[in-house]
Amino acid sequence: MRKLAAIILTVGLILILLLGVQELPSFGKPDNPDNNEVSRYYIENATKDTGATNIVTGIILDYRAFDTFVESSVLFTASIIVILILKKNGNKTE
Amino acid sequence: MKSVILKEISKVIIPFIQIFGVYVIFHGHLSPGGGFAGGTIIGASFILYRIVFGMEYAQKKFKYEILMPILCFSIMLYGILKGYSFITGGSHLNFPQPPLGTSGDILSGGFLLPLNILVGTIVAIVIYFLYSLFDKGEI
Amino acid sequence: MEALLTNYYEACSMILFGVGFAVLLLHSNLIKKIIGMNIMDTAIFLFFIAKGYIEKREAPIIVDVYKGVDAYINPVPSSLMLTGIVVAVSTTAFALALTVKLHEEYGTIELDEIMKMKGD
Repeated sequence: MRKLAAIILTVGLILILLLGVQELPSFGKPDNPDNNEVSRYYIENATKDTGATNIVTGIILDYRAFDTFVESSVLFTASIIVILILKKNGNKTE
Repeated sequence: MKSVILKEISKVIIPFIQIFGVYVIFHGHLSPGGGFAGGTIIGASFILYRIVFGMEYAQKKFKYEILMPILCFSIMLYGILKGYSFITGGSHLNFPQPPLGTSGDILSGGFLLPLNILVGTIVAIVIYFLYSLFDKGEI
Repeated sequence: MEALLTNYYEACSMILFGVGFAVLLLHSNLIKKIIGMNIMDTAIFLFFIAKGYIEKREAPIIVDVYKGVDAYINPVPSSLMLTGIVVAVSTTAFALALTVKLHEEYGTIELDEIMKMKGD
């Protein structure tokens, strides 16, 4: 009974999402709405501003380096949390 | 996990894995890769050393009191470098910055090479810590 | 229906999302639930990175000579999803650490037995 309800809920969710996919613009056309002037600026001026020939590295370490800083702090926080939960030395000192 | 074949072959192959990881980090602004992929490769070589040789040898080589300050100083130095470039570059003050250089060299691109090295160090140490904590409960 | 067949990347990523959601609901073992969460994360990464492709253009790395602005794909979605992959790894590590502590406390990993032991 519970498994039947779970399967019906999942199939309903997939049908609703596929209805949304039908409204998307065609895959890979050059005049999609998300290939606007932002990506044009990044491709044209990446070598002049940063000096990198890998455009993706130039974006994540020069134009948007703040996002990489916050993501490194997320990794650091995850490691601190796992140390606090699982370290065994001196856990029961009472 | 203490057979003789594993020990002899990993003594030969672990330096090659680390050299490949350092190559991927240093050429991060010229070819695909960068800090995260190179850091994962170096962290995987640390995990291989700990699996093959056991806990006592790994605890002598990778001590907790040396790796933890390196991790904390790396992320603080990333914040200081990024803050310096953020403040001086945006307000047209023209403070000294690392030179841009010619594209195609390794020492080019201003702040790209130091930031890549710092990100690689952080990822390698975190991946080694996550494995060793789930294995035995101590680093 | 033809729109689903030309956009097959997005359609398959939605089906993968549904599969991961079903794994999260049907099994009662905690480790299988964590695997289902990882499958849902991977489906979202596939959806976003496939939005950046343009036909007959190549990867955004300047090899020998700069070929103009109309020869490279969109570099923005790939760089934004690098952060997402790292966040998915951190979430999986935290969930697995909590599972180890639950096993030490209750002696089992099945969620149904833990709910019976708690007395709900």
